[in-house]
Amino acid sequence: MTNKDAEKKDGQEEQEEQSGPSSLVQKIQALGQTNVPQAPDSNVHVLSIIGQVEGHIQLPPQNKTTKYEHLLPQLIAIEQNPKIEGVIILLNTVGGDVEAGLALSEMIASLSKPTVSIVLGGGHSIGVPIAVSTDYSFIVPTATMTIHPVRLTGLVIGVPQTFEYLDKMQERVINFVVNHSNIKEEKFKDLMFAKGNLTRDIGTNVIGTDAVEYGLIDEVGGVKEAMIKINEYIAQAKGNGEQEVIQ
Amino acid sequence: MILYTPLSESDIFPTAENLYTNRQCITYEGKTVFVEKNSSGEYQLVQLLSTDPQDYLNNMYTPGTILPNNNR
Repeated sequence: MTNKDAEKKDGQEEQEEQSGPSSLVQKIQALGQTNVPQAPDSNVHVLSIIGQVEGHIQLPPQNKTTKYEHLLPQLIAIEQNPKIEGVIILLNTVGGDVEAGLALSEMIASLSKPTVSIVLGGGHSIGVPIAVSTDYSFIVPTATMTIHPVRLTGLVIGVPQTFEYLDKMQERVINFVVNHSNIKEEKFKDLMFAKGNLTRDIGTNVIGTDAVEYGLIDEVGGVKEAMIKINEYIAQAKGNGEQEVIQ
Repeated sequence: MILYTPLSESDIFPTAENLYTNRQCITYEGKTVFVEKNSSGEYQLVQLLSTDPQDYLNNMYTPGTILPNNNR
């Protein structure tokens, strides 16, 4: 109870700070003006895909999820806003809904603006197509990507058609990854169906540098490298070939 | 109690309905945010959904902020 009360008090104080004429008066007293100059609008926007990729089924609130229906309109907004010149995708996901993930990947791949992804921590399962959907992909050395066959949860009808459906779904994922990265189809399938790498499961856990070696990801790097790359792309798109100043 | 089953935890212990209804996705001052209704009926900001990195520097959208009533 005491904790809650304290939180409530804090909240109320924040509320008072934010609203009402007092904050306005404070601003005028402190700065002689009502509008505090803001940092210039960023020309590079950031889309973070964290936790599970949530698709058709809503997960309980204790799960950390990225809802694809929230990201799709944001991607359209990015495409339409002339002030936004590039997008960085931050990935730390355990995977999730195949169709939601593929929808996101296709949206990112079909953006006209330069896109760069950074895989941080993990980009597992359906995170793989999302990571490779960008123009250029980075992975930090400590990040991992688990490549494994598609699975079904819930009610599964035990008929051969179910297997065919699953196989086709998997084929879509494989095709997307092969088309958007430098990995060969055979290599990707080898990794996907490898035995003995994961405990009690089929697949491979690919670590940062290995992902680059296999051609899945373009380069090992973090924020700095990604910012340099996106600014290069923006400069290219503008056609002046000059490096933009990083804000 | 020990359970040994291939089912997921949420299949055996369904999540309480109010956990879903307490959390809402709303538009606050032009930004899409996730809010959660706390025990005293106030809406507390849980997560900001924005692609603009500058929005995350704005104090107004710090997670945990209690939203003023008139803007809900």
